[in-house]
Amino acid sequence: MNTRLILHINGNEHSLPDAWHGRRLLDYLRHELSLMSVKEGCGEGDCGACTVLVDGEPMCSCLLLGGVLANRSIVTVEGLSDDHRQRFAQLCEQHGGLQCGFCTSGFTMMSAWLAEGGSETGQNSSDKLLAGNICRCGVYQQLKKVIADLL
Amino acid sequence: MTLNTADFRQRALTNARYTADLIPQNAIVAGVARSPHPHARIKNINTAGALAIPGVLAVLTAEDFEGIRLGHNDSDEPVLTTVARYVGDEIAAVAARDQQSLLRGIEALQIEYEILPHAITIDDALDLPTSIHDSCTDNITDRFQAARGDWYEIESQVDIWVDNTFETAAVPHAYLEPRAAVVHVKDDCLELVCGSHAPSMMADHYRPIVASWGSQLEIHTPAMGGSFGAKWQHSTHLICLLFAHRLQQDVAIVLSRRDDMIAGRTRAAMRFKMRIGATATGKLLAKETMLWSDNGAYSLHGPAVMRAATFRADSLYRFAATRSEGQLIYTNNIPSECFRGLGITQSTFAQEQLIDELAKRLNIDPIKLRKMNTVCEGETTIHGWQVGSCGIVDCLDSISNRINQYRRNQTSATNNRYRIGYGVAAFIHCIGNRGYDQHFDRAYVKLTAMPDGRIRISSGEVELGCGTVEVLIKTVSHELAIDPQQLDVVLGDTAIGPHGMGSFASRTSFFVAFAAEDACRRFNQMAQHELLQNIEVTGIYQPDNVVVPDESGYGNISAAYTFGTHGCCVRVDSYTGKVSVEQYWAAHDAGKIVDINAAEGQVIGGVMQGLGYALTECTAVDDNGQLLNPGYLDNRVPTFADAVPVDVIFADTFENSGPAGAKTIAEQPIIPVAACVANAVHDAIGVRLNRLPINPERVWRTLNHDTNS
Ligand code: FES
Ligand code: FES
Repeated sequence: MNTRLILHINGNEHSLPDAWHGRRLLDYLRHELSLMSVKEGCGEGDCGACTVLVDGEPMCSCLLLGGVLANRSIVTVEGLSDDHRQRFAQLCEQHGGLQCGFCTSGFTMMSAWLAEGGSETGQNSSDKLLAGNICRCGVYQQLKKVIADLL
Repeated sequence: MTLNTADFRQRALTNARYTADLIPQNAIVAGVARSPHPHARIKNINTAGALAIPGVLAVLTAEDFEGIRLGHNDSDEPVLTTVARYVGDEIAAVAARDQQSLLRGIEALQIEYEILPHAITIDDALDLPTSIHDSCTDNITDRFQAARGDWYEIESQVDIWVDNTFETAAVPHAYLEPRAAVVHVKDDCLELVCGSHAPSMMADHYRPIVASWGSQLEIHTPAMGGSFGAKWQHSTHLICLLFAHRLQQDVAIVLSRRDDMIAGRTRAAMRFKMRIGATATGKLLAKETMLWSDNGAYSLHGPAVMRAATFRADSLYRFAATRSEGQLIYTNNIPSECFRGLGITQSTFAQEQLIDELAKRLNIDPIKLRKMNTVCEGETTIHGWQVGSCGIVDCLDSISNRINQYRRNQTSATNNRYRIGYGVAAFIHCIGNRGYDQHFDRAYVKLTAMPDGRIRISSGEVELGCGTVEVLIKTVSHELAIDPQQLDVVLGDTAIGPHGMGSFASRTSFFVAFAAEDACRRFNQMAQHELLQNIEVTGIYQPDNVVVPDESGYGNISAAYTFGTHGCCVRVDSYTGKVSVEQYWAAHDAGKIVDINAAEGQVIGGVMQGLGYALTECTAVDDNGQLLNPGYLDNRVPTFADAVPVDVIFADTFENSGPAGAKTIAEQPIIPVAACVANAVHDAIGVRLNRLPINPERVWRTLNHDTNS
């Protein structure tokens, strides 16, 4: 069967080739579109390094198959406003919000979502909302400051 | 990687490229068939079925790597093995055009095993009727002994002994970026791209192997998503190199998280039997240690870690006599490897709990007891370490003040369900180790004037997020009076060099700062009579007051020593056994602090890792050696929700032998954490948790006198 499946990725329309319907969004973004900000830390939904926004909600791209995303809008760090990226990076520099940087794009996506007022529960529980993103270098305390300054 | 002042910003903008981001579109993919058995001889491998699969290009087995071993001094790890020694051991490798063919190829390999008796615990290994390596019949692969002082004389002066047995768990490094490697074929040179904290040392080991195939080798390290001591020699490198050589095409491998946890490395699990003797007034006199270290299946840095764990922590105090013995034991577990803090993290867990115990028994404040007994500036420790600057007393005082202040303002008191407790622990650590590799305890930094007028700083050392790049740029821009924007830094690229030892023992910033100063001196000298574009100079630093320690580990191994004290307040839920850390304080003597942000970041990050080690992380292995928790969900590393407030304090010290008075801060912050938490838990519930991790189940069982704890 040949259904034309459209994904809106970072504002552009992409017709998903058949071969990708049953494969991970993560691989499609990285291998086909070279969106290398999206990282694979675990492939099991545990670490958040692969976080993207799907219709504005943060999701693990390692857990999503291409075929279920018809007409959805997907945003990676590359698709965020330059403003937000620069501001997040500058705050990270100021507070030491990263070391190895492998978790950074996941946190950038979460910060974009929080900045959009994404969470219903409000800022106070951003710790809990961010608990799905692992930073093995352990700079959570610094990231808290980054997020607080950002919001 | 080429870095400059904008590098940190590039990582923050997520523009930095890690190994897996650099795989060419048409690269061949490689994968590994792993043993499902903890100990088994491979009787036969039939590769025909795999090779018949369209898309599968080649298969490698042990024969292809005959005579090649991985390891530091005691190289005992084959690239592909004929005897599986742990679940996950590499048996065969497959190269294919795409991932699907690769998986089918691995599946189609027919491997016949002859199962051998196996050992998952140290005791099992010592009783095992067979040996895990032919070369080691009793499974004890290394032994170490050190004795100082007149033991019997000192023993007779002891009024009080405290003793206990302590066990630490094996934990994975769990860096966020799984192991990956790419090999580019460039004429007769193979270029290996992979994250590593010691690329030059790795190249030294791999080059003769690759040369025997008729090829050259360079290693290029891109941005790295964490190593913590793990990313060093690994069979995946040689597998990709040989495939690339044979197929003359680029080859890549990326481990899944599961495979990375199964066949990555771990911090060695250890068991200590330790006792400390003192006078009735609290003067420490004697310490005796017996250590059994679980090496896992292969050695890597196992011997170095075991030795360090056996005796190094003693140097914090003025013991008059010590007796220490260590054994390194092969088991059918995941091979252990260096992990932030080497073995000191483990031995500090034992030592600092005994000191705490002694303080309780003598009814002396634990801070006071430590202050009475720690070494001081200008002293030589019992193991021959010449202590330069020493801020341990400052650190102890700061922690004492913070705890007292916090206690005064603390409203939540111990009640029937929740018990509040406070703990402290202290440590000593070196900033280098001449004993690690006596031929190469130095660093080089090269300065090259580039045709475009910029200056390139290159070094074989790498950036681990501790600020190596920062140190290089600051030093060079200051010494050459040049705008930092005009500087580029290339680290860990063996084609550009110069040789570097890599990040061991928290040595990097200390060593490169001096080497960079020397390079600048040479540069400025040459600039007086040479055209700028002709200048290329290499600076060198080798600490001159250090020695190779003797057989028993005696000698001044490091140019300076670092100290610190941690404190924490915990709340133990007696209904569930859960330990929550309410507040954490970390005081460090790292010499003069060059970059306060980076230094604080190292401390906070290290404390977080230490809390994972203390409370939740472990490799759970069943009786058959199967890893039960190869992922972040079940092997729980700290998350945002576990982040505790860490108050960082730096002692005001100046190290005369250090660059601009600095010492270093990298491994240190993880060292005392587990002991600090254990002491606080003891304070809260009155029972000592002498096994890691201190998880709810263990605490609950301890509280309920359940013998399975
Ligand atoms: S890679 Fe998707 S959650 Fe870890
Ligand atoms: S900075 Fe290394 S994982 Fe977060």
